[in-house]
Amino acid sequence: MRAAQDHVRDDLEQVFRADYPRVVGVAARVLGSRDGAEDVAQEVFLAFNRTTVPAAEAFRWMSVAAAHTALNHLRSGRRRSAREEAATDGDRCVPDAADDVVDRDEHRRVRAALGRLPRTQAVALVLRHSGLSYAEVAAALDLSPGSVGTTIRRAESALRKELSTDVLPN
Amino acid sequence: MFFRTDPHAADGVLRRLVDEPAGVADADRAHVAGCGDCLQRLSAVRADATLAADALSTTTTPDVDLAWRRLSAAATATATTAPARATAPARGRRWRTALRSPVIAGLGVAVVLGGAGAAAAGDWLQVFRTEEVAPIAVSTADLVSLPDLSGYGDLTVVAAPDPQEFADAAAAERVAGVSAPEVGQLPAGVTGAPTYLASEQVVADFTFSEAKAAQAAAAAGETLPPAPAGLDGATFRLAAGPGLAEVWRSSSGVPALLVARVTAPTAYSSGVPFETARDYILSLPGVPDQLAAQLGAFTGDGTLPLPVPAELATTDTAEVDGHDATVLASRDGTMTGVVWVEDGVVSAVAGSLTEDEVLDVARGLG
Repeated sequence: MRAAQDHVRDDLEQVFRADYPRVVGVAARVLGSRDGAEDVAQEVFLAFNRTTVPAAEAFRWMSVAAAHTALNHLRSGRRRSAREEAATDGDRCVPDAADDVVDRDEHRRVRAALGRLPRTQAVALVLRHSGLSYAEVAAALDLSPGSVGTTIRRAESALRKELSTDVLPN
Repeated sequence: MFFRTDPHAADGVLRRLVDEPAGVADADRAHVAGCGDCLQRLSAVRADATLAADALSTTTTPDVDLAWRRLSAAATATATTAPARATAPARGRRWRTALRSPVIAGLGVAVVLGGAGAAAAGDWLQVFRTEEVAPIAVSTADLVSLPDLSGYGDLTVVAAPDPQEFADAAAAERVAGVSAPEVGQLPAGVTGAPTYLASEQVVADFTFSEAKAAQAAAAAGETLPPAPAGLDGATFRLAAGPGLAEVWRSSSGVPALLVARVTAPTAYSSGVPFETARDYILSLPGVPDQLAAQLGAFTGDGTLPLPVPAELATTDTAEVDGHDATVLASRDGTMTGVVWVEDGVVSAVAGSLTEDEVLDVARGLG
């Protein structure tokens, strides 16, 4: 086992070029913003560089790390946003490619709903919708494969309820 | 049904049916298909899944070159100061088990492999043991595996796979009975001489049993449709291989490049045509998709349905020397492969390569 801390991993560039867009994608699902997602992905790759995780497992490892990191950002961002909204109009979202698909207001509601989900449900939901298999999600979250479906189902049900509650007329 | 004991499908089972149905037990699938309540719940589960997919959709296309410059600068700057705080995940065992469950156990006698596929599988299974996941290998192995018909009769292995390793192509060719393909130009990063693996033909006899098929149907909560005359007790011989594989290994132990050439699977019968048994089994309730796809490979019409575990790999199509080819890519991005059939011979090229690299090798084979 090599001392990873004083190296740039030999395989870092190869792994980066293979996996960077997908890791950004995982974070973008949580944050709804490409810039924020790229910041998370950079953070995750720097963390990966300090590990001895084999390249073959890199994407799974980084997907989990990206989901957690982005959810952490979401929560701290939510607190910050609440303060900012109290002082200003709260118009801090920068539109980007992701915003072409879903409008900004829905983004806000989705982010808020994700932030309120139990962490395991939120991560399972994001990982599955990022293309990880049930077996991969199970391994990542230390769940039994049989309970992954239940966890994702609960998350999606909660998401639907949150979104339908939020769309009620003000 | 008078003595039904099946409970309704759990929410988690319904959710998995939406996007990974191969991971759901046949009995559950059969129950849902015939249960109005479950179908209604499935519809609601599907709607929520679609809503979530829309809500979480993203179309980000980052500039990878720019991002790499940013990362490499940061990594170099922090390499000497950052503490090593994370190590390889400690749950390798669970990971391995999780993979074995849908792929290996799910296939039952998929260990009955043929030809170079068996040789390759032997190699790939080591990949599993080293906990470096190469699902494409599973696909390559499936390609020449014999279908698990144990639920519908007795399966007796007549000739078990015995892959051997050779230092030179000629020795492997003598065992495999097919010529070793010559790789025109190795992809960047693949170096050195290959190891040759070869295996003789794998043969199994399958005797159809109406009683066993009735049991399988009952397990799915169904009654067995009447079997064609003469099918009960009829024996079929299924063969896969022989074949060979050339393997270039990388320093990590994962095959950097694998080129395999295997005689396509065949089925023989002395009485009732195998197609009769095949079509009858395919008409039965609860036949796993994997088995259906494998049985489909024994059609002799040149098509080759690949039983690819959807949770592990994606598929695409391409052309190799005028033949339709299937491109497989593992969902974790580590492995890519291409498979095609030509004159009763199945060829495969796979490795930790890009799709273009794999196709270049495939199209340049001599």
